[in-house]
Amino acid sequence: MAQQDDIAIYGKRRTMYAVIALMFLFFFARLFQLQMFYSEEYGRKSEENSIRTIPKEPVRGYIFDRNGTLVVDNRPAFTVTIMPFEFDKSTIDYLSRLLSLDPEFIRERLRKGEAYSRFAPVKIKRDIDFKTLAALEENRDRLPGVDYQVESKRWYTTRALASHTLGYTKEISESQMKVQVEEYAPGDVVGSAGLEARYEPTLRGQKGAEFSTVNVRGQVIGRFDNGRNDIPAVEGNDLILTMDFGLQAFAESLMTGRRGAFVAVDPNDGGILAMVSKPDYELAAFSGVTPPEIWRSLNQDEAKPLFNRATLTRYPPGSTFKMLLAIAGLESGSITPSWRVNCGGSLRLGNKVFKDLHVHGSVDLVTAIQQSCNVYFYQTMLRTGLDAWSRYGSEFGFGRLTGIDIYEENPGLLPSTAYMDKRYGKNGWTRGFLPSLGIGQGEVGVTPLQMACYVAALATKGEYHQPHVARAIVTKSPHAVDTLTFGTRHIEVSANTWNIVREGMRRVVEEPGGTGGMARIPGIQSAGKTGTAQNTHGPDHAWYIGFAPFDNPRIAVAMLVENAGFGGTQAAPLAGLCIERYLKGRITRYDAPPVPRKQVPFPQALPPLHAVLQP
Amino acid sequence: MNYQDIKERVDYKTALAALALLAIGIVSVYSATYDARAAEIFHKQVLWVGVGILALVATALVPFRLLQLASYPAYFLSILMLVSVLILGKTVSGSMSWFSIGTLRLQPSEFSKITTVLALATYLARSDVSLRKMRDLGIAAGIVLLPVALVMMQPDTGTAFIFFGMFFPVLFWGGASRFTLVAIIAPVATAVAALFGTTPFLTAVLLFAVLIYLTKEHNIVAAAVFSLTVLVGVSVQFIYEGLRHYQQKRIATFLDPNADPLGAGYNILQSKVAIGSGGFFGKGFLHGTQTQLNFIPEQWTDFIFCVPGEEFGFLGAATVLLLFMALLIRGVTIGSIVKNRYGGFVAIGLTAIFATHIFLNIGMSIGLLPVIGVPLPFLSYGGSALLSAMTMVGILMNLYANRKEY
Repeated sequence: MAQQDDIAIYGKRRTMYAVIALMFLFFFARLFQLQMFYSEEYGRKSEENSIRTIPKEPVRGYIFDRNGTLVVDNRPAFTVTIMPFEFDKSTIDYLSRLLSLDPEFIRERLRKGEAYSRFAPVKIKRDIDFKTLAALEENRDRLPGVDYQVESKRWYTTRALASHTLGYTKEISESQMKVQVEEYAPGDVVGSAGLEARYEPTLRGQKGAEFSTVNVRGQVIGRFDNGRNDIPAVEGNDLILTMDFGLQAFAESLMTGRRGAFVAVDPNDGGILAMVSKPDYELAAFSGVTPPEIWRSLNQDEAKPLFNRATLTRYPPGSTFKMLLAIAGLESGSITPSWRVNCGGSLRLGNKVFKDLHVHGSVDLVTAIQQSCNVYFYQTMLRTGLDAWSRYGSEFGFGRLTGIDIYEENPGLLPSTAYMDKRYGKNGWTRGFLPSLGIGQGEVGVTPLQMACYVAALATKGEYHQPHVARAIVTKSPHAVDTLTFGTRHIEVSANTWNIVREGMRRVVEEPGGTGGMARIPGIQSAGKTGTAQNTHGPDHAWYIGFAPFDNPRIAVAMLVENAGFGGTQAAPLAGLCIERYLKGRITRYDAPPVPRKQVPFPQALPPLHAVLQP
Repeated sequence: MNYQDIKERVDYKTALAALALLAIGIVSVYSATYDARAAEIFHKQVLWVGVGILALVATALVPFRLLQLASYPAYFLSILMLVSVLILGKTVSGSMSWFSIGTLRLQPSEFSKITTVLALATYLARSDVSLRKMRDLGIAAGIVLLPVALVMMQPDTGTAFIFFGMFFPVLFWGGASRFTLVAIIAPVATAVAALFGTTPFLTAVLLFAVLIYLTKEHNIVAAAVFSLTVLVGVSVQFIYEGLRHYQQKRIATFLDPNADPLGAGYNILQSKVAIGSGGFFGKGFLHGTQTQLNFIPEQWTDFIFCVPGEEFGFLGAATVLLLFMALLIRGVTIGSIVKNRYGGFVAIGLTAIFATHIFLNIGMSIGLLPVIGVPLPFLSYGGSALLSAMTMVGILMNLYANRKEY
């Protein structure tokens, strides 16, 4: 059917034409008014009223240790920037001489910056000295678009380095930029290792902005609206650590010249008291601009100073693992405390001979721990079996990440039946593998951090706390202290078992015949266990783990000295001194045992650094 | 097919206007994103233009009867999409309105505008339906209000305005009584006037009192509509008083951008400066300082009109206006020459959608209207909007080609 009457339609059409014409008449009139009558006024406004945003870098949060000592501070640093929009490219050569930079580097920076925004300053050199600053200031007229910003750089105030734990900040990389486009601009500094990386969002703060009025040529002619619209940068939040930097500095000084790691943890809450990895490096070298030579030398050093030995190594734990086996054996009912083994100095299994250091004679469990009898634990392992051992190993945090609040961490390796089946095939492995595992040798790898948490759990009779370095975050606005919470799990083991194992550990240190006598501290009863881990690449690694005071433990430690030899002589004395330093605040012995420093070439092939630092 | 045949079948005037606007749009988006974001935005827009042209050709060639048959199903499908977008849509700048298909995102509300016009036209074209009957009028309003309610829930106020702007001309075209038209306009206009203050409110009440009187409607009905108008106006004022300070401020800047030149009014002021400073000839392509210095956030979306205004001056802006005007005039003309009743409603509805978009967007850009976020057809960046605009042109061309069929 047709539309309505033609006459009616044409009437309506006329009305609609009229409405459309009226609407556009209004628009044309307005355009005419804006663009013809007021165009001069708006033209002037567009020249004056052009606003440019200059980002303001926030001050990164400070870091304090458990006693409130400021350990990471900030210092002002001057950063040279180029505004691509204003910059005259013919001055690149002159500028490169002034800043002693490669002109190609400046060009590359400029190209990348331009791709991001032509109106955002590109940082080309950080942390220039006052001489360069003065030269720059003098030649301002010759260098349009070149300016500098005051930024803050990290400043380390204590004697301790704590390089691997605190971590460093670095200019953001292109791959990081791709993930974090929103908050970061090229040239921004971002936490790249340790706590700086893990707590980046907390420490970083929020960028602010300053609005300047610019003219048509893009030159700044003043603050926009007297700065009333500026957004102040928000200072980053502070971090309060569980660490004691007195102990940290002491432990670092003890380990100078050695390779290895030391971890001290508060067994009552899992807070890290000290964490040392040697050799280490000066964080201050990273705080401003890191010269490529330094970066290269750190990366190529065969001692791998950037590698965090406390959390990333995978060394066999040696005899320090015997308590784990004792617990697995007792709890699974495979052995009893009174069960004795006659140690003849070795164990023959098939055609394999497993050795011991001494002939211990007939020993029970407590004595076997005290004297570190291998034959006793070979037998215990054969009775207990891989499954129970592996289950308790996992309970004590081996073979998995501890969840410490820094990103650099290795789960280590704890073999299980499933693992062995996969590695060697279902029937490819025999009981012959077990004795070695029982004494912490062979295919088992742990980190010093895992060892510290393990001994802390022994100290508290089964309270396994997630280790952590940061205790609280201090927010600036509103001012508040947010205490961080970390997980805890209880390891189900009978009281009797705890008592026996801990008694064995006490005797290691406190009774004659124990292997850890050199860890003894005058006036404080402690407990521990030595370990000497065989190593196919060179001399044995020395281990000591322990806790004190025995009845009310306040500190648990793990000490690893690479390629040093016996745990009892190389690691135990150092650990004893650290415990004393923490519990007493100072060393009371003037006849502190001298520990010979053995310098040995570093034979270990470690994983490439980039694989570890950038997961 | 000779030239005469082509002229007979193809509405080249509408096509040329649309393509010219499309070209200006591409140039404008290029200029507004002439920076690092070109890759992200400009290239995507070029891709969408290609998709849009395909959509135009496809809808222009689809058999006319099929279009009519598909009207109701398409309407229900779009309602279904609006509902599901509420449930699983992605939130983009505070409102849930997107569907993601790979990297291309679609906004169902853009397409529901078209399907609502098709459904409304199908209903009103029925011989037994008359807008003089209360019941039929109610059903017609229901067809429009259902998608409006869903769109408001996203919340997308701009698109809701578009529906209202489409409904009114269609009612007019369908022969609704003057009284009906006044009764629909009166409460809305009075409510808006009430926000401006007591004097505009009283003026509006007075104006509608006269208009209602002139329609010579039955006294009781007229009195009811008038009371409703007054009631809505008064309650708006009461609600406003009861609002918190910041909410009042938000409404105040909405109505008068000059009151807050750095907050909500910032865009409008910068937009006016951009257009005004363009002068007669403009500052030249890629030389608009306002555009190039990114003073207007996301200029490539709702404030795209500033680009031709600043860089090509009055000449450029007036060209855009003339092209839009030609498009609207063509739309109304097609509506009047189509023999099929359904086709007439469709043409008027689609033209009214274009008109509302143009009115709200350009009115905002030149500082005559508050900031209501609706895109400018063919010019603004945005795939869904471009696709729906091209589809609408395709339907208009389809109607023209089949204008002699009953």
